[in-house]
Amino acid sequence: MTINKQKEGTSLTLALEGRLDTITAPELEAVLKEELEDVEALTFDFTALEYISSAGLRVLLSAQKQMNRQGTMKVTGVGEVIMEIFEVTGFSDILTIE
Amino acid sequence: MQNPIQPQAEEKGGTRIRRSLAFNIIGAIILLLLLFGLISGVIGFVSFTAAFKKEYAETTWHMADTATLLVNGDHLDAYLAGEEEEEYQKTREYLDSYCRRIYVSLIYVIEVDRSDYGRFVSVFNSVYNDVDDTEYKEWELGHPRDTTNDEYRRKYRAIYEEGAPYETVYRINTTDGQHPHITTMVPVKDSAGEVAAILCMQRPVRELEDARRPYVVKIAISTLLLALLSSAAAAVYIRRQFVGPIQQISAEATRFARENTVLEPLGEVSRLHEISRLAASIDTMESDMAESIRNLTAITAEKERIVTELSLAQKIQAAMMPHVFPAFPDRHEFDVYAAMDPAKEVGGDFFDFFLVDDDHLCLAVADVSGKGIPAALFMMASKIILQSCAMLGQSPAEILTKTNEAICSNNQEEMFITVWLGILEISTGRLRAANAGHEYPALKASADGRFALIKGKHGFVIGGMEGIRYREVDVQLEPGAKLFLYTDGVPEATDASGAMFGTARMTDALNEAADGSPEEILTAVRRAVDGFVRDAEQFDDLTMLCLAYNGAGEPPAAAEIHQTEKTEKEEDPA
Repeated sequence: MTINKQKEGTSLTLALEGRLDTITAPELEAVLKEELEDVEALTFDFTALEYISSAGLRVLLSAQKQMNRQGTMKVTGVGEVIMEIFEVTGFSDILTIE
Repeated sequence: MQNPIQPQAEEKGGTRIRRSLAFNIIGAIILLLLLFGLISGVIGFVSFTAAFKKEYAETTWHMADTATLLVNGDHLDAYLAGEEEEEYQKTREYLDSYCRRIYVSLIYVIEVDRSDYGRFVSVFNSVYNDVDDTEYKEWELGHPRDTTNDEYRRKYRAIYEEGAPYETVYRINTTDGQHPHITTMVPVKDSAGEVAAILCMQRPVRELEDARRPYVVKIAISTLLLALLSSAAAAVYIRRQFVGPIQQISAEATRFARENTVLEPLGEVSRLHEISRLAASIDTMESDMAESIRNLTAITAEKERIVTELSLAQKIQAAMMPHVFPAFPDRHEFDVYAAMDPAKEVGGDFFDFFLVDDDHLCLAVADVSGKGIPAALFMMASKIILQSCAMLGQSPAEILTKTNEAICSNNQEEMFITVWLGILEISTGRLRAANAGHEYPALKASADGRFALIKGKHGFVIGGMEGIRYREVDVQLEPGAKLFLYTDGVPEATDASGAMFGTARMTDALNEAADGSPEEILTAVRRAVDGFVRDAEQFDDLTMLCLAYNGAGEPPAAAEIHQTEKTEKEEDPA
């Protein structure tokens, strides 16, 4: 998985590419831990994301919880496969999906 | 059994090397010394000979020069003409006695033909054959003789024409049987100072050989002695400073390789700093390796302990789940079979089924986010809370809500769990279920139906967020109905190319085995997954549960599913 970071002021966009699973989720967690402090608008671009596992969902959930305190978070470019996972797990209810 | 053989073989090899090393060095020393002796002998021999010849020639010159004082250079022609006979006889006697007194073989005075120095006539000739055991005959006055030897002719000319004080002809290394000798020539001058004749003196050089032989013998003996002494000293030195220490180092390295223990360090085994450094390197290597071995032993022990604990944990986890089948041998209304196959030693998946009371069977399948030990710990806690809530006789939605609250209150690591939980009313076949973010179950509602996913609206995962309310789904099971529950490890099983098994392949596999027992159905799905994944590593826990509903002893009714969404717990998470 590759993570493309784009930061403008207090807004951060993370474009993920590949599979977000048990092996790659810690990478995303490390990036978030490092970058998220002053961010008020966090955007995940999932256009090129192929798969997300429960470990990936966990990282998304903790990002969502942190952003609930300091700003907004949204997820864009969600494909069919990822959307089904979000719906099955109920994440579609707690995430802002555009 | 190998050890007694190995060192012997090594010692043999060591001896061979030691021998050749000492042999080579000592041999080289001896060879060099002999060469040195030979060269110094030759140089000494040559310079000794040169010095001797020079000294001998000068002494002979002085002797010959003294002899000329006896000869009257003005009367030589008169002697040849037969005049002044008395003076001639007197001079001849003087010369004869002088010849004997100074112990030389020949003294002769000659007048050389100055046109080409090719002949001369003898004036005086004293012979003393006893000196060198010779057989010369005295030349009489006026005896003519040709000079064919160019060296003599050149030297005669040098004395007559170039004013040379003396000339010497050496016959030292003679080959014609003559004894080694020198002939010294000096000018005989008349009163006007002109050269009138040449006086030649022949003197043996036996002394040279006599002096030279002991010199050569001395050189040879002293060189041999020096060679012997040096090689003995070299042997001792090599053994003490070189071979001995190397043997010691090699023995220590062999011992260390066998025993892996550090004893006394080698320290200063030699004054040669290359060898000392080698010994120091061996000492350092030993202590470093011993340290590494200790660390490795500790790490290995720790790893073994972890493996042991993991296998114990695996047993505990497996024992926590129903594992005796058939689980309810005395209940003819239903049959349940389940299996969990963790990707690692312990897993985050679990299944559970138990009778809440005589008429209610609770079924659950869950999947914790993540894998391994953290997931397993979280799974254990979740399972216990879930079962405790279920035993209170509450509805599936209430059970999930309570469980969520209990887990959220103490969830630092933000782990979560997806759960499908259903309660079957055995007497009626009514199944009420709630879903906290879990996979859609597959249901075959009646004996002649087909497996299909129950796609109801889902609640959020448990442990993710507080205050979540869950909705329930009602399903009516007819006799012959089958329910298949699973975790995402089944549809998301991945082959080597990265393709997933998917729910479509899963339902196909289910329908192919639809008439089988729950155990047969699980085996069929597992076989389909394995056939799809082939050699790829199992990445996620694989958990399946199958319920077969046989009805409460009543005749089978028509299939009827009504899937209603309850509205009493409507509150959605925001």
